[in-house]
Amino acid sequence: MINIEIDGLKIEAQDGAMLIEAADEVGISIPRFCYHKKLSVAANCRMCLVDVEKAAKPLPACATPVTEGMKVFTQSQKAISAQKGVMEFLLINHPLDCPICDQGGECDLQDLAVGYGGGETRYSENKRVVKNKNIGSLIATDMTRCIHCTRCVRFGEEIAGVRELGAIGRGEHMEIGTYVASTISSELSGNMIDLCPVGALTSKPFRYSARNWEMQRHPSIAGHDCVGSNIDLDVRDNNIMRVVPRENEEINETWISDRDRFSYEGLNSKDRLTAPMIKQSGEWQRVSWDTALAFALNGVKELVGRHGAEHLGTLVSPSATLEEMYLLQKLVRGLGSSNIDHRVRQLDFSDQNRAPAFPYLGQSIESLGQSDAVLLVGANITKDQPILGHRVRQAALFGAKVMCVNSVDYKVNMPLAEKLITDVAGMEAALAGILKALLNMNKIAAPSGIDQLLHSVSISATHEKMAANLSKASHGSVLLGLSAASHPAYSTLYALAECIAELSGAKLGSLSLGANSAGAWLSGAVPHRTADSASSNQTSAGLNAIQMFTAPRKGYFLFGIEPEFDSVDPVVTTQSLKDAEFVVAFSSYASTVLSDVANVFLPISPYTETSGTFVNVEGRWQSFKGVVSPQEDTRPAWKILRVLGNLFELKGFDYMSSIEVRDELKKCLGDIKLSNKRAWLCPELSGNISEQIVEIPIYGADAITRRAVSLSITPDATGHTIVMN
Amino acid sequence: MKTGLNHYLKTFILWELLIGLKLTGRYFFAKKITVQYPEEKTPQSYRFRGLHALRRYDNGEERCIACKLCEAVCPALAITIESEVHDDGSRRTTRYDIDLFKCIFCGFCEEACPVDSIVETRIFDYHFEKRGEQIMTKEKLLAIGDQHEAQIAADRELDAPYR
Amino acid sequence: MAESKLHLLSDESKGEIDTWIAKYPKDQKKSAVMAALTIVQDANGGWLTQELMDMVAEYLAMEPISVYEVATFYSMYELKPVGRHKICVCTNISCMLCGSDAVVSHLKDKLGIGFGGITTDGKISLKEVECLGACGGAPMLQIGDQYYENLTPEKIDSILDNLK
Repeated sequence: MINIEIDGLKIEAQDGAMLIEAADEVGISIPRFCYHKKLSVAANCRMCLVDVEKAAKPLPACATPVTEGMKVFTQSQKAISAQKGVMEFLLINHPLDCPICDQGGECDLQDLAVGYGGGETRYSENKRVVKNKNIGSLIATDMTRCIHCTRCVRFGEEIAGVRELGAIGRGEHMEIGTYVASTISSELSGNMIDLCPVGALTSKPFRYSARNWEMQRHPSIAGHDCVGSNIDLDVRDNNIMRVVPRENEEINETWISDRDRFSYEGLNSKDRLTAPMIKQSGEWQRVSWDTALAFALNGVKELVGRHGAEHLGTLVSPSATLEEMYLLQKLVRGLGSSNIDHRVRQLDFSDQNRAPAFPYLGQSIESLGQSDAVLLVGANITKDQPILGHRVRQAALFGAKVMCVNSVDYKVNMPLAEKLITDVAGMEAALAGILKALLNMNKIAAPSGIDQLLHSVSISATHEKMAANLSKASHGSVLLGLSAASHPAYSTLYALAECIAELSGAKLGSLSLGANSAGAWLSGAVPHRTADSASSNQTSAGLNAIQMFTAPRKGYFLFGIEPEFDSVDPVVTTQSLKDAEFVVAFSSYASTVLSDVANVFLPISPYTETSGTFVNVEGRWQSFKGVVSPQEDTRPAWKILRVLGNLFELKGFDYMSSIEVRDELKKCLGDIKLSNKRAWLCPELSGNISEQIVEIPIYGADAITRRAVSLSITPDATGHTIVMN
Repeated sequence: MKTGLNHYLKTFILWELLIGLKLTGRYFFAKKITVQYPEEKTPQSYRFRGLHALRRYDNGEERCIACKLCEAVCPALAITIESEVHDDGSRRTTRYDIDLFKCIFCGFCEEACPVDSIVETRIFDYHFEKRGEQIMTKEKLLAIGDQHEAQIAADRELDAPYR
Repeated sequence: MAESKLHLLSDESKGEIDTWIAKYPKDQKKSAVMAALTIVQDANGGWLTQELMDMVAEYLAMEPISVYEVATFYSMYELKPVGRHKICVCTNISCMLCGSDAVVSHLKDKLGIGFGGITTDGKISLKEVECLGACGGAPMLQIGDQYYENLTPEKIDSILDNLK
């Protein structure tokens, strides 16, 4: 620690810290534009000039390391006049268009100009004008406003991992741009909007729609991937106007993915379901809640009476809240059916009885960033879980060896130490090869059965290098991604990965689908486990997401499911649903296919309009409140399920709040073991696999995102970047 | 005794009444100050704060840029604005309502406007026949502006030296 | 992934670039970017196309935008076709004080082109540059590798006449 004095305040600062960090620590504010705590120091705006004792000239606080006994004055005559001078220079070319600028009211330059700007300009020449660039559907540019802080350039290089923006030209002719007309393709690009201290980069979907002073900010949790990024929802007139990140060092730091940021557009989509509806002789009718619920009740009762409860199948979206999943499974199990599943993209369920309590990352998100070797198996981590991808990338920049075994050559934004691209069938052999190399190298006793299994597996140099990297690492991570989970031999891949992790001392982790796969497992939205016994299996397991359609049921509950997207085989699924006698659809949207197959629509509120809880991939329970009131006649789904439970005369459905539901579940679960450990059982190689994995489009994972117009026209969504193997 | 007689005489000749009538007479023959509204009107200051109007530029383009500063400054919360990106990419209002029941005619909106778009005119005599008519919509405000532009522009010209 | 542009690189230029790359540590190949751009520019008749810059980026394993940044920053790189002789006139402070304005207007009159222009016969192009470090001989200009100092209109005329 180093002792310094800022404005007469004696403080202790970290060795090697910059003055501005030390000052921020104790709450002394130094004006700045280019400095950002998550980016490298550029020191090119000069706004943070401070007066340091014995220094001849004012020094930039962001680039001056603290030294013992340093005396700093941030408010001295010298400091203030230096800052005022810098501000005058910055304002020379900055247009006076605050009234039409979206940054107006939340602009660093505007705020600081109040403190340091002059009342009048001494500059009478023409201001420079810079042509706007079209850099895609998410970010609007007004480059004349740019003050060349280069935060966006550094963000691209250091965080997003794709250097797309650069400083073109020099001196007065310097411009920030892409040089050639191109769109920004990063999945984290929206963060540049937050970083830009002026209005040069602003949000395109939000453009001109509201002012920051007329919006209320409410905390929430992003509901589109298993990360559970903390977000703030800005609300005006009961409408979500935009989404911005809420800082949480342990999860998303100061970033959020574009999917979390721009998916709000889908909330007010045209096909939003706003009232309960029933289908009578092929015609949809808008009805009251009483009528719709009675219709559903009678339909289900008749069906159960005629065919028995085992003829009821329930599919729930992995992005539903914990409370919704818990109540839904409580309802259908109360009716006598265990056919409930959320694993809409999974093909191989053979290992489900041995699965851990929930798909766990194997460590905290923060710790993932400290890995020194990462093996990605069937994972497009950059696009599917951008925040986790960012963590892995940070690890890679600090020297971690990132390796991947994939069936698609995904574009990644980090240096890969090793890459193994094979076809779907070859995934098993690839992992087996790594495992064999690992065994050969370390001469450790193989778990039972493995020797025989690996007998005919051949190993390549890549396998050996991957094995070596993993076993050399003191903090290795083996991650199974979304396409591993939808692999036809998922259980084998899992077991092989498990074995690799075990033998190399690495941590095994799963990256799960949707916002709440973890919650689905814990709350019993799986056919073989209930919340009362989350890690022990039921004796008579129900049908899983595939069986429900290969052996079609007579009736279905669909919860937040769009059969044409949330299914591995849309044709079979849709046909089974069409053939069914009675389908109850809990949905926020009335898509064509859903209207075709359902008999009753119960409009449910998306996560912005209901209270609930998401459990993220590291097992963190994050509860949130509804920030806008439910649209028209929609209702929070936990309330609908509560009423339905009572209508079916089931016990224990008298909840006053979603918090009661959550607490009941928490009590049921007791202590949840955060672990992927399980007893060893040797897998079998399945050999010839003919199925293909249906890749989940990055902006097609859930119903809300699918309807976000601006996201749907980004390069990621239009698929120009993915090359199939 | 003398006082009593004086009092008696004054009472007898209605002296106080005459004193009063003297004042009446003075005003009766003096120059009249009554304004025969609506045939006659009092002079107004060019800073008169009457009914609002939205102005246009000479080429017919709306001045309002939807910056919402008037909405923010309005102490009576009488202004409601909604905005969007116009076809030509500019920032424009889709809705600009002033509720005249709420408005206190303080003139802050006019002060806040960076483009001299929302102004208060000299119009003070207007009426509503139905509930809801007090909401001055963008169309109504622009129509007032179009009709009185010459007067509005002249008034701003006169006030310019003091701004 | 965009198409590879490496086929644009001639063996000769490649050899030259490689000698520059060899001067830097192995993991800092990109340090050779300025030399590489100069070599490629010379081989292309004095100017750089976007494709050539992409090619340099690919060869040095850099992001294309980083190469564009370098090429747009320095005045010795040309992004548009230039004449056979490129006259670079310094208009920075020392030269300006010593009368570069007169030099510039004389050149403009004589050649009939402005800054950034090329004479119709493609012989000469004119460019305004910042300080070239020859303030002692201000006002000055540069043609190719040659500096011409202490300029007067007569001197300029003779320089122009001697250009082939």
